[in-house]
Amino acid sequence: MINSVLWTPLVFGVLGLVAPKRYSGWVVTVGAAVTLGLAIALLAGFDSGATGLQDTTDVAWISGLGVRYSLGLDGLNIFLILLTAVLWLPAVAFSAWREPERPRNYFLMLALGETATMGAFVSQDLLLFVLFFDLMLIPFYFLFGVWGQDRPDGVRASAATLKMIIYTLVGSLLMLVGAIATAILAADGGPISFSIADLQHHILSSGSQYWIFCFFAAAFLVKMPAFLLHGWMPDAYRAAPLPALAVFSGVLAKVGAYGFLRIVLPLYPQATIHFQTIVLLIALASILYGSVMAFTQTNVRLIAGYSSVAQLGFITAGIFALRADGANGALLQMVNHGLVVAPIILIIALLAERAGTEDLREMGGEALRAPVLATMFLIVVLATLAMPGSANFIGEFYILNALFQAKIVFAFVAATGMVMSAYYALRLYQRTMHNRKPERVESRDLGLRDGLVLAPLVACIVALAFYPQLILHRTDDSATATVAATCLVPSAQPQGGALGVAGPSYRCPGGFRPSSYAFGPQPAAAVLETNR
Amino acid sequence: MHTEWYIVLSALLFAVGAAGVLLRRSPLVILLCLELMLNAGNLALVAFSRMLGNSDGQIFAIVVMVVAACEVVVGLGLIVAIYRRRLPLNVDELRELRG
Amino acid sequence: MLLFPLLGSIVIGLGYRVWPGRAAGWIGTGAIGLSFAASIGVLISLLDHPDSGRQLSSTLWTYANAAGLDIKLNVFVDPLSVFMILVVSGVSALIHLYSVAYMDSDRGYTRFFSLLNFFVFSMLLLILAGNFVLLIVGWAFVGFASYALISFWYRRATATAAGMKAFVINVFGDVGLVFAAILIFREFGQFDYTDVFRRAPHVFHTNEWTVVAICLLLLVGAFAKSAQLPLHTWLPDAMEGPTPVSALIHAATMVTAGVYLIARTYPLFDLAPTAADIAAFTGLATLLVAGSIALVVTDMKRIIAYSTMSQIGYMVVGVSIGAYSAGLFHLMTHAFFKALLFMAAGSIIAAMANQQNIDRMSGFRRAMPFTGAMLIIGALALSGFTGTSGFFSKDEILAFATDRGSFYWIFTIGGYLGALLTAIYSFRLVFRVLGGEECDEAKELRETGHVVHAEPENPATGEVEDTDVGFPGAEHHIAEQAPPMRIAMAGLGFLALFAGFIQVPGLDNVIHNFLAPTFAASPFERIEPSTAASWEGFAVGTLIALTGIGIAYLLYVRQPATTARLIERLHPVYTLLLNKWYFDELIDVLIVRPALAFGSFCNRTFERVVVQGIVNGTVDVVRGAGGVVRTVQSGFVRSYALLLVTGFAALGLYFLIQSS
Repeated sequence: MINSVLWTPLVFGVLGLVAPKRYSGWVVTVGAAVTLGLAIALLAGFDSGATGLQDTTDVAWISGLGVRYSLGLDGLNIFLILLTAVLWLPAVAFSAWREPERPRNYFLMLALGETATMGAFVSQDLLLFVLFFDLMLIPFYFLFGVWGQDRPDGVRASAATLKMIIYTLVGSLLMLVGAIATAILAADGGPISFSIADLQHHILSSGSQYWIFCFFAAAFLVKMPAFLLHGWMPDAYRAAPLPALAVFSGVLAKVGAYGFLRIVLPLYPQATIHFQTIVLLIALASILYGSVMAFTQTNVRLIAGYSSVAQLGFITAGIFALRADGANGALLQMVNHGLVVAPIILIIALLAERAGTEDLREMGGEALRAPVLATMFLIVVLATLAMPGSANFIGEFYILNALFQAKIVFAFVAATGMVMSAYYALRLYQRTMHNRKPERVESRDLGLRDGLVLAPLVACIVALAFYPQLILHRTDDSATATVAATCLVPSAQPQGGALGVAGPSYRCPGGFRPSSYAFGPQPAAAVLETNR
Repeated sequence: MHTEWYIVLSALLFAVGAAGVLLRRSPLVILLCLELMLNAGNLALVAFSRMLGNSDGQIFAIVVMVVAACEVVVGLGLIVAIYRRRLPLNVDELRELRG
Repeated sequence: MLLFPLLGSIVIGLGYRVWPGRAAGWIGTGAIGLSFAASIGVLISLLDHPDSGRQLSSTLWTYANAAGLDIKLNVFVDPLSVFMILVVSGVSALIHLYSVAYMDSDRGYTRFFSLLNFFVFSMLLLILAGNFVLLIVGWAFVGFASYALISFWYRRATATAAGMKAFVINVFGDVGLVFAAILIFREFGQFDYTDVFRRAPHVFHTNEWTVVAICLLLLVGAFAKSAQLPLHTWLPDAMEGPTPVSALIHAATMVTAGVYLIARTYPLFDLAPTAADIAAFTGLATLLVAGSIALVVTDMKRIIAYSTMSQIGYMVVGVSIGAYSAGLFHLMTHAFFKALLFMAAGSIIAAMANQQNIDRMSGFRRAMPFTGAMLIIGALALSGFTGTSGFFSKDEILAFATDRGSFYWIFTIGGYLGALLTAIYSFRLVFRVLGGEECDEAKELRETGHVVHAEPENPATGEVEDTDVGFPGAEHHIAEQAPPMRIAMAGLGFLALFAGFIQVPGLDNVIHNFLAPTFAASPFERIEPSTAASWEGFAVGTLIALTGIGIAYLLYVRQPATTARLIERLHPVYTLLLNKWYFDELIDVLIVRPALAFGSFCNRTFERVVVQGIVNGTVDVVRGAGGVVRTVQSGFVRSYALLLVTGFAALGLYFLIQSS
């Protein structure tokens, strides 16, 4: 099952390569649709009550090095897989309607991208993860570089792509070093294993945790991108073809955040605690900087880009609050953000087609003749600014709650990000949809084709707004177990009426009662010992 | 039987080859000298193989010969191509690869 | 009950192309009417329960539950919420009815009703929410509906800017509420009203810092929504929206949500007297500041908007000092007379082709007798003239303040001062608009029965309006002539006049008794001004209302030149008032400008120097290193060979030395 979800896109991508040019796009679209179906089946078969991994595949791959082809499903990745499948379908279909140049290669790259991203989400072997993580880069390198556009303001697609590749490659090489070091140090002379589950039983000494943590953090923070490591983002966003950018921004950025939850927290718990404040500071800086930049930009793509920086800042902050509610909120928010940023970028593509420009100052007045498009955009924008009632709000609420209980000051700073997001998101909407219409702007509504692409995404947003529990219900156990590794987390189950009284032990992060926790195997307890 | 003599011969051959590579300017001669060096290596391999009574070295020598044959093919091909383009057959003047 | 407006909104929205003529309007009105009927049904079923059992709560489904944060979609019904839904759905139904005719010539007719219905849905959600998170959801929905309706005429730059301002300030309030909810969760481990309120007295001491903090955070939300100082600047700007919107959202219902919130969370405020006092003083300040600004503003709708702020100030004072039922009573009567005032103003503004400046209006008394009568009724109730609804409700708050003792007499004095201002500015409006020489439009209307409008233009910018998006075109409906408008206005007029009699001290006490189960736990519930004291207060109130009206008569009718002299004499004061006490400028200087400056600093300097600097620095280093290495690549094959041989020789030598 999990294998078929992983490889279906690539298989269809290769099929598209041999199909006639006109149909290759549709072959890959069908592949994406099949993948989505399989992913939904995966969700249907997912047992939210069970602990640990489900639906696993575990085969020896490079036995000499202890690398295994090991895949598995749990609450952390199930919805990210689904998100990948959900977002890829409209992106592929959107491109298929527009018939790019050299379609076979284009769609093969998109399909390869999907497989690689899925692979990063499902792999349970450290080296396999690193491999898929790097594999993701290849298709996007070509997509951005070959099918990207040079901008009149001097951004060249090839240069922008090169910059992006160098940034991410430096990160992932560091991560590769970190991964190998982890396995070797953990093996301690014995047989080497890269399996994440095995490594969890052999937690490293805190000294080596520190530097390995930094290596992994560098890779993930670049990918997100986080503040000061986002140098590649503006150029790449301006050059990229929009459908590819939609999935890039919607899914690939989440791999970084996911990596923290899957690898960093369980494997390097002490380092995580040690660097918590620093990472939180980076996250907050991302929130503030991203928001501020987003409301001074005039290029619509960059507004989306910087708002992603801010949102990913929220997610990172949620993870590094090191509490179960924060991790849950972060997971929910990853899905939410993917679901809103992809339609925003696709809508930006539509708006740019109509206005002939991507400059906010030259757009406007679209809503009159395009009420359907305007309504969809409005829903998406409201979800982006995390209006209460949307699932994004629940995500941010969980994150803020966790931050508040963990580090109160950070929560207040993060909240200013919420206010600013209201401004920049609404500004984007108003300047494109409202106000006077400039002469050049053409105002027409969504065609049926693009409607078919966008409507399901908007429907997902609305559905989640009504029932975010759909996600939280399934992520809860895994997220809780992940942060449990850092030992700072309470079970946070309010124990009846006694909670108000049991306040002190509940409040301060250091005073939690780990014993009330259903720990996984040994490691957490072992770390606990070293912590004291 | 003294292995030393073989080794001395091999060393001499190698030195001659190396000197040729370093001093001559014609690519054809350089290629010849390279062959000389490879055969010097072969000679040493075979000699040691005999000394140790193990045939591994001889197998290696045969592999080296195969590689040398390939190399000659490619090298001569290149030289012919250079000649056809009417470029000077002088390695000092063929320096497009300067960084 | 919640369902009707939502369904109405969705049905209207989806069928935006299909609905012919006024169908959307009638569907919308019908939906709200049904909702009102359902509210009455709830009221009746609630009255069946004994007093102590009048708090019902039911859960629809679990909204989000992970890691201990358990958020349910639950509905909470008690006398307070029933009272509120009755007021909201009742007034909304009338305003929908009014809009059916008023918005007739507007191209955005269906969009308007879809949004209006959505607003009512959100408001009911806000009121019926059974926990703090759901409250925030309703709170934000309401804010969004308000935003969408303020910038309803979205090609008007001033309207979109006003909408943005309202939304951002409201989001600021939302964040306050979010933190209040988080803090409550920290203390109680859940969000449910019933549990939180029941356990509050056991968890907190009086005035413990946490409970004060919770209340202050709640107040941030309440003040942002209810336009109290210093978060009020969005409300006057919100008058950019169509008039029924101003009537419904920005006068009758939404802005009173803050009052509802304080009343709803009274167990917390009872435990945090400091926060309650801060709220009361803010209310008092707002009431006076807004009243003073209303004296000089010339935009008709803004006068009423400032008066709304000032009346909400009364309510905030009321619920903060413990006069819960009086404050809510005032909320109800205010909803009636303020909606009425806006409707009357809407008629006149329509007749003036959307000209809102009262300097340009005069003499409408003969052209529009019905509207004129309604305007007078509204103004009388607003200034608390004896016997009208505003009279009873306002004075009840002030009487309570006197009775509460300690320093609370300040509120009585301030309240009466505010009442004086209220009477002056409301009758300034009446005399200016209805009295005096007939202006051209009024004359034309009286003689021909309709007005030929010039091309509408935006008074703020002078731009010609873009009538494509639905800004009323030339054939705008004149208020008086449409029956739905008359019915709505007459209904509200009746309520504005006589609704006060349901709670007259010494005679009956309907609202107080009805709300008693909700506030049973409050210590202030026992404070009840004696009948005699109340009547004394009424006497003072009458006197003040009469004085105010008299002053207005003197200034604006008898000796119109006096105002000019006053302006000259008190020039600094006048400028201060005209500039609305410089609150806009203050916010601009303190928040907006620094944020924008920081933004452009980031954009221009930081991004280029630091972020790209890192990139370029790395590139330069790599390039420099490359330059050094490059010199080796001479292109001489033989020098490469030499390098190779030397290298091997060195290696060989090294091994020889090592082994020997």
